[in-house]
Amino acid sequence: MEQDEGARVLPLRVSDIKQYMYCPRVVYYQYVLPVERKVTHKMEHGQLEHLELDRLEKRRKLVEYGLDEGERRFQVHLHSDRLGLTGILDLLLVTPRGYFPVEFKYSTRDPALNHKYQLTAYAVLVEEQFGRPVRTGFLYMSPGKRIQPVDITENMRIHLRRMMGAIRRMVAEERVPARTRSGARCRDCEYRRFCGDVL
Amino acid sequence: MYFLTEEERKRLLKGLIPKSRQNEVNEDLRGWNWHRPPLEPLYDVKLALYEVASRYCPTGRDLFLRRVHKVKPPPNKAMVLGSVFHDTLVTIMVRAKKLIYEKGVAGYQEIVQALREPDLAPLERHRASLGDEGFEEAMRRCRIIWEFEAARIIARVQEYLAKQPHIGEDSLVSLAIPVVVEQKLDGSFLGLSANLSADAFTFSEPMVLDLKFGERRPFHRLTTAGYALVMEALHEYPINVGCLIYAEFREDRLVISKDFHLIDDEVRQWFIEERDEKMRMIAEEIDPGRADDCRPACPYHATCWPSDGRSPGPRPRRPGP
Repeated sequence: MEQDEGARVLPLRVSDIKQYMYCPRVVYYQYVLPVERKVTHKMEHGQLEHLELDRLEKRRKLVEYGLDEGERRFQVHLHSDRLGLTGILDLLLVTPRGYFPVEFKYSTRDPALNHKYQLTAYAVLVEEQFGRPVRTGFLYMSPGKRIQPVDITENMRIHLRRMMGAIRRMVAEERVPARTRSGARCRDCEYRRFCGDVL
Repeated sequence: MYFLTEEERKRLLKGLIPKSRQNEVNEDLRGWNWHRPPLEPLYDVKLALYEVASRYCPTGRDLFLRRVHKVKPPPNKAMVLGSVFHDTLVTIMVRAKKLIYEKGVAGYQEIVQALREPDLAPLERHRASLGDEGFEEAMRRCRIIWEFEAARIIARVQEYLAKQPHIGEDSLVSLAIPVVVEQKLDGSFLGLSANLSADAFTFSEPMVLDLKFGERRPFHRLTTAGYALVMEALHEYPINVGCLIYAEFREDRLVISKDFHLIDDEVRQWFIEERDEKMRMIAEEIDPGRADDCRPACPYHATCWPSDGRSPGPRPRRPGP
Protein backbone atom coordinates (compact mmCIF):
# COMPACT_ATOMS: atom_id res chain seq x y z
CA MET A 1 0.00 0.00 0.00
CA GLU A 2 2.73 2.38 1.03
CA GLN A 3 4.54 1.68 -2.21
CA ASP A 4 1.57 2.09 -4.45
CA GLU A 5 0.89 5.48 -2.90
CA GLY A 6 4.55 6.38 -3.20
CA ALA A 7 4.62 5.29 -6.83
CA ARG A 8 1.99 7.86 -7.72
CA VAL A 9 4.04 10.53 -6.04
CA LEU A 10 7.60 9.74 -6.94
CA PRO A 11 8.89 7.25 -9.51
CA LEU A 12 12.35 6.03 -8.59
CA ARG A 13 15.27 4.67 -10.57
CA VAL A 14 17.21 1.57 -9.63
CA SER A 15 20.31 3.73 -9.43
CA ASP A 16 18.59 5.69 -6.62
CA ILE A 17 18.61 2.53 -4.51
CA LYS A 18 22.32 2.09 -5.09
CA GLN A 19 23.05 5.75 -4.39
CA TYR A 20 20.87 5.84 -1.28
CA MET A 21 22.80 2.97 0.23
CA TYR A 22 26.09 4.59 -0.69
CA CYS A 23 25.05 7.91 0.83
CA PRO A 24 21.41 9.02 1.28
CA ARG A 25 22.36 12.64 0.72
CA VAL A 26 23.20 11.96 -2.93
CA VAL A 27 19.54 11.10 -3.50
CA TYR A 28 18.48 14.09 -1.40
CA TYR A 29 20.49 16.45 -3.62
CA GLN A 30 19.12 14.89 -6.77
CA TYR A 31 15.45 15.07 -5.81
CA VAL A 32 15.02 17.71 -3.14
CA LEU A 33 17.79 20.22 -3.66
CA PRO A 34 18.94 19.89 -7.27
CA VAL A 35 22.35 21.51 -7.44
CA GLU A 36 24.86 21.67 -10.23
CA ARG A 37 27.38 18.90 -9.82
CA LYS A 38 30.63 18.37 -11.58
CA VAL A 39 31.45 15.09 -13.31
CA THR A 40 34.29 13.57 -11.36
CA HIS A 41 37.12 11.48 -12.70
CA LYS A 42 35.65 8.49 -10.86
CA MET A 43 32.32 8.83 -12.72
CA GLU A 44 34.00 9.14 -16.15
CA HIS A 45 36.21 6.17 -15.42
CA GLY A 46 33.21 4.11 -14.30
CA GLN A 47 31.35 4.79 -17.55
CA LEU A 48 34.32 3.76 -19.67
CA GLU A 49 34.81 0.57 -17.70
CA HIS A 50 31.16 -0.27 -18.12
CA LEU A 51 31.44 -0.03 -21.92
CA GLU A 52 34.47 -2.30 -21.85
CA LEU A 53 32.63 -4.84 -19.69
CA ASP A 54 29.72 -4.78 -22.12
CA ARG A 55 32.11 -5.58 -24.99
CA LEU A 56 33.83 -8.41 -23.12
CA GLU A 57 30.62 -9.95 -21.86
CA LYS A 58 29.40 -10.48 -25.42
CA ARG A 59 32.13 -13.13 -25.78
CA ARG A 60 31.28 -14.93 -22.55
CA LYS A 61 29.55 -18.32 -22.59
CA LEU A 62 26.49 -19.17 -20.50
CA VAL A 63 28.28 -22.15 -18.96
CA GLU A 64 30.28 -19.70 -16.87
CA TYR A 65 27.02 -18.83 -15.13
CA GLY A 66 26.33 -22.52 -14.55
CA LEU A 67 23.65 -22.47 -17.26
CA ASP A 68 23.40 -24.65 -20.38
CA GLU A 69 21.35 -22.80 -22.92
CA GLY A 70 19.47 -19.56 -23.26
CA GLU A 71 19.38 -16.11 -24.70
CA ARG A 72 21.39 -13.09 -23.59
CA ARG A 73 19.72 -9.69 -23.76
CA PHE A 74 21.87 -6.63 -23.16
CA GLN A 75 20.80 -3.23 -21.81
CA VAL A 76 17.25 -4.28 -20.98
CA HIS A 77 14.90 -1.40 -20.14
CA LEU A 78 12.74 -2.36 -17.19
CA HIS A 79 9.91 -0.54 -15.54
CA SER A 80 6.97 -1.10 -13.23
CA ASP A 81 4.12 1.36 -12.73
CA ARG A 82 2.99 -0.59 -9.71
CA LEU A 83 6.32 -0.26 -7.94
CA GLY A 84 7.13 3.15 -9.39
CA LEU A 85 10.55 1.91 -10.40
CA THR A 86 12.60 1.96 -13.61
CA GLY A 87 16.08 0.90 -14.61
CA ILE A 88 18.35 -0.41 -17.35
CA LEU A 89 19.74 -3.85 -16.60
CA ASP A 90 23.18 -4.70 -18.01
CA LEU A 91 22.28 -8.24 -19.01
CA LEU A 92 19.29 -10.54 -18.72
CA LEU A 93 19.80 -14.28 -19.18
CA VAL A 94 16.61 -15.85 -20.50
CA THR A 95 16.89 -19.61 -20.10
CA PRO A 96 14.58 -22.61 -19.78
CA ARG A 97 15.59 -22.71 -16.10
CA GLY A 98 14.39 -19.17 -15.53
CA TYR A 99 15.33 -15.52 -15.86
CA PHE A 100 18.60 -14.30 -14.35
CA PRO A 101 19.54 -10.62 -14.09
CA VAL A 102 23.26 -9.83 -14.34
CA GLU A 103 24.83 -6.59 -13.21
CA PHE A 104 28.39 -5.68 -14.23
CA LYS A 105 30.65 -4.13 -11.62
CA TYR A 106 34.16 -2.84 -12.06
CA SER A 107 35.73 -3.64 -8.72
CA THR A 108 38.47 -5.86 -7.35
CA ARG A 109 36.71 -6.10 -3.98
CA ASP A 110 33.87 -8.33 -2.91
CA PRO A 111 30.44 -7.09 -4.00
CA ALA A 112 29.23 -4.20 -1.85
CA LEU A 113 25.81 -4.10 -0.23
CA ASN A 114 24.52 -1.42 -2.57
CA HIS A 115 25.30 -3.68 -5.54
CA LYS A 116 23.31 -6.47 -3.90
CA TYR A 117 20.18 -4.34 -3.55
CA GLN A 118 20.59 -2.87 -7.02
CA LEU A 119 20.45 -6.45 -8.28
CA THR A 120 17.43 -7.14 -6.06
CA ALA A 121 15.65 -4.15 -7.61
CA TYR A 122 16.37 -5.47 -11.10
CA ALA A 123 15.15 -8.91 -10.05
CA VAL A 124 11.77 -7.58 -8.89
CA LEU A 125 11.49 -5.52 -12.08
CA VAL A 126 12.18 -8.60 -14.21
CA GLU A 127 9.46 -10.43 -12.29
CA GLU A 128 7.04 -7.58 -12.86
CA GLN A 129 7.79 -7.20 -16.55
CA PHE A 130 8.08 -10.83 -17.58
CA GLY A 131 5.84 -12.46 -14.98
CA ARG A 132 8.49 -15.03 -14.06
CA PRO A 133 9.96 -15.57 -10.59
CA VAL A 134 13.61 -14.67 -10.15
CA ARG A 135 15.42 -16.68 -7.51
CA THR A 136 19.02 -15.86 -8.39
CA GLY A 137 20.93 -13.01 -9.99
CA PHE A 138 24.61 -12.55 -10.77
CA LEU A 139 27.16 -9.87 -10.11
CA TYR A 140 29.95 -9.95 -12.67
CA MET A 141 32.98 -8.49 -10.96
CA SER A 142 35.68 -7.26 -13.25
CA PRO A 143 38.70 -7.07 -13.67
CA GLY A 144 38.92 -10.37 -11.77
CA LYS A 145 36.17 -11.77 -14.06
CA ARG A 146 34.44 -13.26 -11.07
CA ILE A 147 30.80 -14.24 -11.31
CA GLN A 148 29.07 -14.03 -7.98
CA PRO A 149 25.62 -15.65 -7.75
CA VAL A 150 23.26 -13.86 -5.37
CA ASP A 151 20.09 -15.55 -4.06
CA ILE A 152 17.23 -13.05 -4.07
CA THR A 153 15.68 -13.74 -0.68
CA GLU A 154 12.41 -12.59 0.81
CA ASN A 155 14.26 -10.43 3.33
CA MET A 156 16.15 -8.71 0.51
CA ARG A 157 12.85 -7.85 -1.16
CA ILE A 158 11.46 -6.51 2.14
CA HIS A 159 14.60 -4.47 2.66
CA LEU A 160 14.30 -3.04 -0.86
CA ARG A 161 10.71 -1.97 -0.19
CA ARG A 162 11.74 -0.40 3.09
CA MET A 163 14.47 1.57 1.33
CA MET A 164 12.11 2.79 -1.37
CA GLY A 165 9.67 3.90 1.33
CA ALA A 166 12.47 5.70 3.17
CA ILE A 167 13.58 7.53 0.01
CA ARG A 168 10.02 8.65 -0.74
CA ARG A 169 9.46 9.82 2.80
CA MET A 170 12.74 11.73 2.75
CA VAL A 171 11.75 13.49 -0.48
CA ALA A 172 8.15 14.14 0.61
CA GLU A 173 9.27 15.62 3.93
CA GLU A 174 12.26 17.36 2.35
CA ARG A 175 14.27 16.09 5.27
CA VAL A 176 18.06 16.16 5.12
CA PRO A 177 19.26 12.64 5.90
CA ALA A 178 22.30 11.88 8.02
CA ARG A 179 25.49 11.81 5.97
CA THR A 180 27.15 8.53 5.11
CA ARG A 181 29.01 6.96 8.00
CA SER A 182 31.98 6.27 5.78
CA GLY A 183 34.03 9.45 5.48
CA ALA A 184 36.12 7.97 2.67
CA ARG A 185 33.09 8.14 0.37
CA CYS A 186 32.98 11.91 0.76
CA ARG A 187 36.46 12.37 -0.73
CA ASP A 188 35.44 11.80 -4.35
CA CYS A 189 31.81 12.88 -4.00
CA GLU A 190 30.49 15.40 -6.50
CA TYR A 191 28.25 16.89 -3.79
CA ARG A 192 30.92 17.26 -1.17
CA ARG A 193 30.96 21.08 -1.20
CA PHE A 194 27.23 21.18 -0.41
CA CYS A 195 27.50 19.15 2.80
CA GLY A 196 28.27 21.72 5.47
CA ASP A 197 28.93 19.13 8.18
CA VAL A 198 31.50 17.12 6.20
CA LEU A 199 35.08 18.25 6.72
CA MET B 1 10.49 -23.20 26.25
CA TYR B 2 14.03 -22.81 25.00
CA PHE B 3 14.43 -26.53 24.24
CA LEU B 4 13.90 -27.58 20.65
CA THR B 5 11.60 -30.36 19.51
CA GLU B 6 12.94 -33.03 17.16
CA GLU B 7 11.17 -31.38 14.22
CA GLU B 8 12.63 -28.01 15.09
CA ARG B 9 16.10 -29.47 15.41
CA LYS B 10 15.73 -31.13 12.01
CA ARG B 11 14.48 -27.93 10.42
CA LEU B 12 17.45 -26.10 11.86
CA LEU B 13 20.03 -28.68 10.81
CA LYS B 14 18.73 -29.31 7.31
CA GLY B 15 17.36 -25.88 6.55
CA LEU B 16 18.57 -22.78 8.28
CA ILE B 17 22.08 -23.72 9.30
CA PRO B 18 23.27 -24.86 5.83
CA LYS B 19 21.59 -21.78 4.37
CA SER B 20 23.38 -19.53 6.85
CA ARG B 21 26.71 -21.02 5.81
CA GLN B 22 25.92 -20.59 2.13
CA ASN B 23 24.70 -16.98 2.31
CA GLU B 24 27.72 -15.20 3.67
CA VAL B 25 27.03 -12.16 5.79
CA ASN B 26 28.72 -9.03 4.49
CA GLU B 27 31.92 -8.50 6.45
CA ASP B 28 31.03 -4.86 7.19
CA LEU B 29 27.98 -6.09 9.09
CA ARG B 30 29.75 -8.52 11.39
CA GLY B 31 29.81 -7.34 14.99
CA TRP B 32 33.59 -7.65 15.23
CA ASN B 33 33.89 -4.76 12.79
CA TRP B 34 32.28 -2.43 15.32
CA HIS B 35 35.25 -0.06 15.02
CA ARG B 36 34.48 1.02 11.46
CA PRO B 37 31.44 2.19 9.48
CA PRO B 38 28.65 1.29 9.28
CA LEU B 39 28.75 -0.32 12.73
CA GLU B 40 30.85 2.35 14.40
CA PRO B 41 28.42 4.58 16.32
CA LEU B 42 28.27 8.21 15.23
CA TYR B 43 27.01 9.59 18.53
CA ASP B 44 28.04 9.21 22.13
CA VAL B 45 24.56 8.15 23.22
CA LYS B 46 24.23 4.73 24.85
CA LEU B 47 20.99 2.90 24.12
CA ALA B 48 19.45 -0.14 25.73
CA LEU B 49 18.95 -2.87 23.19
CA TYR B 50 15.20 -2.85 23.65
CA GLU B 51 15.24 0.89 22.89
CA VAL B 52 16.72 0.19 19.47
CA ALA B 53 14.62 -2.88 18.76
CA SER B 54 11.24 -1.63 19.96
CA ARG B 55 8.97 -0.24 17.28
CA TYR B 56 5.72 -0.43 19.21
CA CYS B 57 5.55 3.35 18.83
CA PRO B 58 5.60 3.86 15.03
CA THR B 59 7.53 7.15 15.25
CA GLY B 60 9.74 6.26 18.21
CA ARG B 61 8.36 9.13 20.25
CA ASP B 62 8.24 6.97 23.38
CA LEU B 63 12.04 6.92 23.34
CA PHE B 64 12.23 10.66 22.67
CA LEU B 65 9.98 11.38 25.65
CA ARG B 66 11.88 9.03 27.94
CA ARG B 67 15.39 10.09 27.04
CA VAL B 68 15.00 13.76 26.12
CA HIS B 69 12.06 14.88 28.28
CA LYS B 70 12.77 12.29 31.01
CA VAL B 71 9.14 11.15 31.10
CA LYS B 72 8.99 7.81 32.87
CA PRO B 73 5.43 6.45 33.22
CA PRO B 74 4.82 3.15 35.03
CA PRO B 75 4.80 0.04 32.81
CA ASN B 76 1.46 -1.17 31.50
CA LYS B 77 -0.10 -4.47 32.60
CA ALA B 78 1.19 -6.43 29.60
CA MET B 79 4.73 -5.28 30.35
CA VAL B 80 4.45 -6.29 34.01
CA LEU B 81 3.06 -9.71 33.14
CA GLY B 82 5.71 -10.26 30.46
CA SER B 83 8.40 -9.49 32.98
CA VAL B 84 6.87 -11.82 35.60
CA PHE B 85 6.59 -14.71 33.12
CA HIS B 86 10.18 -14.19 31.98
CA ASP B 87 11.39 -14.18 35.56
CA THR B 88 9.45 -17.34 36.35
CA LEU B 89 11.18 -19.12 33.49
CA VAL B 90 14.58 -17.84 34.57
CA THR B 91 13.88 -18.99 38.13
CA ILE B 92 13.11 -22.55 37.15
CA MET B 93 16.09 -22.87 34.81
CA VAL B 94 18.52 -21.55 37.39
CA ARG B 95 16.91 -23.56 40.18
CA ALA B 96 17.22 -26.76 38.16
CA LYS B 97 20.92 -26.14 37.59
CA LYS B 98 21.49 -25.28 41.25
CA LEU B 99 19.67 -28.41 42.40
CA ILE B 100 21.78 -30.64 40.19
CA TYR B 101 24.98 -29.13 41.56
CA GLU B 102 23.74 -29.21 45.16
CA LYS B 103 22.16 -32.65 45.28
CA GLY B 104 24.44 -34.33 42.76
CA VAL B 105 23.56 -37.18 40.44
CA ALA B 106 22.82 -39.43 43.42
CA GLY B 107 20.20 -36.98 44.69
CA TYR B 108 18.18 -37.26 41.52
CA GLN B 109 14.90 -38.10 43.23
CA GLU B 110 15.23 -35.05 45.47
CA ILE B 111 15.90 -32.86 42.43
CA VAL B 112 12.74 -34.10 40.71
CA GLN B 113 10.71 -33.54 43.85
CA ALA B 114 12.04 -30.02 44.41
CA LEU B 115 11.49 -29.01 40.78
CA ARG B 116 7.81 -29.83 41.03
CA GLU B 117 7.32 -27.16 43.71
CA PRO B 118 6.73 -23.82 41.97
CA ASP B 119 8.66 -20.81 43.18
CA LEU B 120 6.46 -17.77 42.61
CA ALA B 121 8.72 -15.19 44.21
CA PRO B 122 9.03 -13.14 40.96
CA LEU B 123 5.27 -12.70 40.97
CA GLU B 124 5.05 -11.67 44.62
CA ARG B 125 7.05 -8.53 43.88
CA HIS B 126 4.24 -7.28 41.61
CA ARG B 127 1.28 -8.12 43.86
CA ALA B 128 0.45 -4.45 44.48
CA SER B 129 0.55 -3.35 40.84
CA LEU B 130 -1.55 -6.28 39.59
CA GLY B 131 -4.43 -6.04 42.07
CA ASP B 132 -6.14 -9.09 43.60
CA GLU B 133 -7.82 -10.37 40.47
CA GLY B 134 -4.81 -9.70 38.24
CA PHE B 135 -2.56 -11.38 40.76
CA GLU B 136 -4.67 -14.56 40.86
CA GLU B 137 -4.75 -14.79 37.10
CA ALA B 138 -1.00 -14.16 36.85
CA MET B 139 -0.38 -16.85 39.49
CA ARG B 140 -2.40 -19.36 37.49
CA ARG B 141 -0.32 -18.61 34.43
CA CYS B 142 2.98 -18.71 36.28
CA ARG B 143 2.04 -22.18 37.54
CA ILE B 144 1.31 -23.28 33.96
CA ILE B 145 4.76 -22.06 32.86
CA TRP B 146 6.42 -23.74 35.83
CA GLU B 147 4.71 -27.10 35.33
CA PHE B 148 5.43 -27.08 31.62
CA GLU B 149 9.09 -26.29 32.03
CA ALA B 150 9.65 -28.52 35.08
CA ALA B 151 8.27 -31.52 33.17
CA ARG B 152 10.59 -30.85 30.25
CA ILE B 153 13.68 -30.40 32.41
CA ILE B 154 12.93 -33.53 34.42
CA ALA B 155 12.47 -35.52 31.20
CA ARG B 156 15.80 -34.27 29.84
CA VAL B 157 17.63 -35.02 33.08
CA GLN B 158 16.14 -38.52 33.16
CA GLU B 159 17.10 -39.10 29.55
CA TYR B 160 20.77 -38.28 30.14
CA LEU B 161 20.91 -40.16 33.42
CA ALA B 162 19.54 -43.24 31.68
CA LYS B 163 21.99 -42.92 28.80
CA GLN B 164 25.18 -41.96 30.69
CA PRO B 165 25.79 -44.16 33.76
CA HIS B 166 29.00 -42.31 34.77
CA ILE B 167 27.82 -38.76 34.21
CA GLY B 168 28.88 -36.01 36.64
CA GLU B 169 26.93 -32.93 37.72
CA ASP B 170 28.62 -30.44 35.43
CA SER B 171 28.14 -32.58 32.35
CA LEU B 172 24.53 -33.28 33.28
CA VAL B 173 23.81 -29.57 33.55
CA SER B 174 25.44 -28.77 30.21
CA LEU B 175 23.67 -31.61 28.38
CA ALA B 176 20.23 -31.40 29.96
CA ILE B 177 19.98 -27.61 30.24
CA PRO B 178 22.35 -26.29 27.54
CA VAL B 179 21.03 -22.76 27.75
CA VAL B 180 22.40 -19.67 29.46
CA VAL B 181 19.55 -17.47 30.62
CA GLU B 182 19.84 -13.72 31.13
CA GLN B 183 23.28 -13.69 29.52
CA LYS B 184 24.91 -10.41 30.52
CA LEU B 185 26.64 -8.58 27.69
CA ASP B 186 28.53 -5.34 27.28
CA GLY B 187 27.13 -3.61 24.20
CA SER B 188 29.26 -0.48 24.42
CA PHE B 189 31.32 -1.34 21.30
CA LEU B 190 28.15 -0.77 19.32
CA GLY B 191 26.92 2.26 21.22
CA LEU B 192 24.63 0.16 23.41
CA SER B 193 24.35 -0.22 27.16
CA ALA B 194 27.19 -1.97 29.00
CA ASN B 195 24.63 -4.02 30.92
CA LEU B 196 22.57 -5.83 28.30
CA SER B 197 20.82 -9.07 29.11
CA ALA B 198 19.90 -11.62 26.43
CA ASP B 199 16.95 -13.86 27.30
CA ALA B 200 18.82 -17.01 26.35
CA PHE B 201 21.77 -18.28 24.37
CA THR B 202 22.67 -21.78 23.23
CA PHE B 203 26.17 -22.84 22.38
CA SER B 204 25.58 -26.03 20.40
CA GLU B 205 24.86 -23.89 17.34
CA PRO B 206 25.44 -20.31 18.46
CA MET B 207 21.88 -19.04 18.53
CA VAL B 208 20.22 -16.14 20.30
CA LEU B 209 16.76 -16.83 21.71
CA ASP B 210 14.21 -14.27 22.75
CA LEU B 211 10.93 -15.03 24.44
CA LYS B 212 7.78 -13.00 23.74
CA PHE B 213 4.39 -13.13 25.40
CA GLY B 214 2.47 -11.25 22.77
CA GLU B 215 1.62 -11.25 19.10
CA ARG B 216 4.25 -11.62 16.40
CA ARG B 217 5.77 -8.44 15.00
CA PRO B 218 8.36 -8.26 12.20
CA PHE B 219 10.56 -5.93 14.25
CA HIS B 220 11.03 -8.55 16.96
CA ARG B 221 13.88 -9.86 14.84
CA LEU B 222 15.76 -6.66 15.60
CA THR B 223 16.28 -7.98 19.13
CA THR B 224 18.02 -11.17 18.07
CA ALA B 225 20.01 -9.25 15.45
CA GLY B 226 21.17 -6.77 18.09
CA TYR B 227 22.32 -9.48 20.49
CA ALA B 228 24.05 -11.34 17.66
CA LEU B 229 25.99 -8.19 16.72
CA VAL B 230 26.96 -7.58 20.35
CA MET B 231 28.11 -11.18 20.83
CA GLU B 232 30.13 -11.05 17.63
CA ALA B 233 31.75 -7.84 18.85
CA LEU B 234 32.60 -9.39 22.22
CA HIS B 235 33.57 -12.93 21.29
CA GLU B 236 34.56 -12.58 17.61
CA TYR B 237 32.69 -15.65 16.41
CA PRO B 238 29.80 -15.57 13.93
CA ILE B 239 26.20 -15.85 15.05
CA ASN B 240 23.95 -16.49 12.10
CA VAL B 241 20.73 -17.79 13.58
CA GLY B 242 18.13 -16.30 15.89
CA CYS B 243 14.95 -17.73 17.34
CA LEU B 244 11.92 -15.86 18.64
CA ILE B 245 9.73 -17.90 20.91
CA TYR B 246 6.09 -16.88 21.15
CA ALA B 247 4.21 -18.19 24.14
CA GLU B 248 0.47 -17.86 24.36
CA PHE B 249 -1.99 -18.98 27.03
CA ARG B 250 -5.11 -20.80 25.86
CA GLU B 251 -7.20 -21.68 28.87
CA ASP B 252 -4.95 -24.00 30.88
CA ARG B 253 -2.57 -24.65 28.04
CA LEU B 254 0.60 -23.02 26.95
CA VAL B 255 0.88 -22.85 23.16
CA ILE B 256 4.37 -22.18 21.84
CA SER B 257 5.49 -21.28 18.33
CA LYS B 258 8.99 -20.43 17.20
CA ASP B 259 10.33 -18.13 14.53
CA PHE B 260 13.75 -19.37 13.49
CA HIS B 261 15.48 -16.88 11.24
CA LEU B 262 18.80 -15.95 9.73
CA ILE B 263 20.61 -12.97 11.18
CA ASP B 264 21.29 -11.84 7.63
CA ASP B 265 22.52 -8.63 6.03
CA GLU B 266 19.03 -7.17 5.91
CA VAL B 267 18.11 -7.46 9.56
CA ARG B 268 21.61 -6.31 10.58
CA GLN B 269 21.24 -3.19 8.43
CA TRP B 270 17.79 -2.57 9.80
CA PHE B 271 19.15 -2.75 13.34
CA ILE B 272 22.00 -0.35 12.55
CA GLU B 273 19.62 2.09 10.84
CA GLU B 274 17.30 2.01 13.85
CA ARG B 275 20.22 2.54 16.19
CA ASP B 276 21.57 5.48 14.19
CA GLU B 277 18.19 7.14 13.75
CA LYS B 278 17.37 6.82 17.43
CA MET B 279 20.80 7.99 18.54
CA ARG B 280 20.45 11.02 16.29
CA MET B 281 16.98 11.71 17.62
CA ILE B 282 18.29 11.78 21.18
CA ALA B 283 21.61 13.52 20.54
CA GLU B 284 19.99 16.28 18.49
CA GLU B 285 16.70 16.29 20.42
CA ILE B 286 14.54 15.77 17.35
CA ASP B 287 10.91 15.21 18.24
CA PRO B 288 9.65 12.63 15.72
CA GLY B 289 6.05 13.66 16.36
CA ARG B 290 3.10 11.56 17.43
CA ALA B 291 2.01 8.60 15.41
CA ASP B 292 -1.40 8.55 13.77
CA ASP B 293 -2.08 5.03 14.95
CA CYS B 294 -1.11 5.08 18.62
CA ARG B 295 -1.84 2.09 20.84
CA PRO B 296 -4.06 3.10 23.75
CA ALA B 297 -2.06 0.71 25.97
CA CYS B 298 1.15 2.64 25.32
CA PRO B 299 2.52 3.98 28.64
CA TYR B 300 3.17 7.32 26.89
CA HIS B 301 -0.35 7.69 25.50
CA ALA B 302 -1.39 10.21 28.14
CA THR B 303 1.75 12.27 27.50
CA CYS B 304 1.27 12.40 23.75
CA TRP B 305 -2.48 12.95 23.99
CA PRO B 306 -3.02 14.85 27.26
CA SER B 307 -6.44 15.77 28.75
CA ASP B 308 -9.03 15.76 25.95
CA GLY B 309 -6.77 14.02 23.50
CA ARG B 310 -6.59 17.02 21.20
CA SER B 311 -3.69 18.90 22.65
CA PRO B 312 -0.61 18.37 20.52
CA GLY B 313 1.83 17.68 23.38
CA PRO B 314 5.45 18.83 23.00
CA ARG B 315 6.03 20.48 19.63
CA PRO B 316 8.18 18.65 17.12
CA ARG B 317 11.57 20.15 16.44
CA ARG B 318 13.46 19.55 13.23
CA PRO B 319 17.19 20.02 12.84
CA GLY B 320 18.68 22.17 10.09
CA PRO B 321 20.82 20.66 7.34
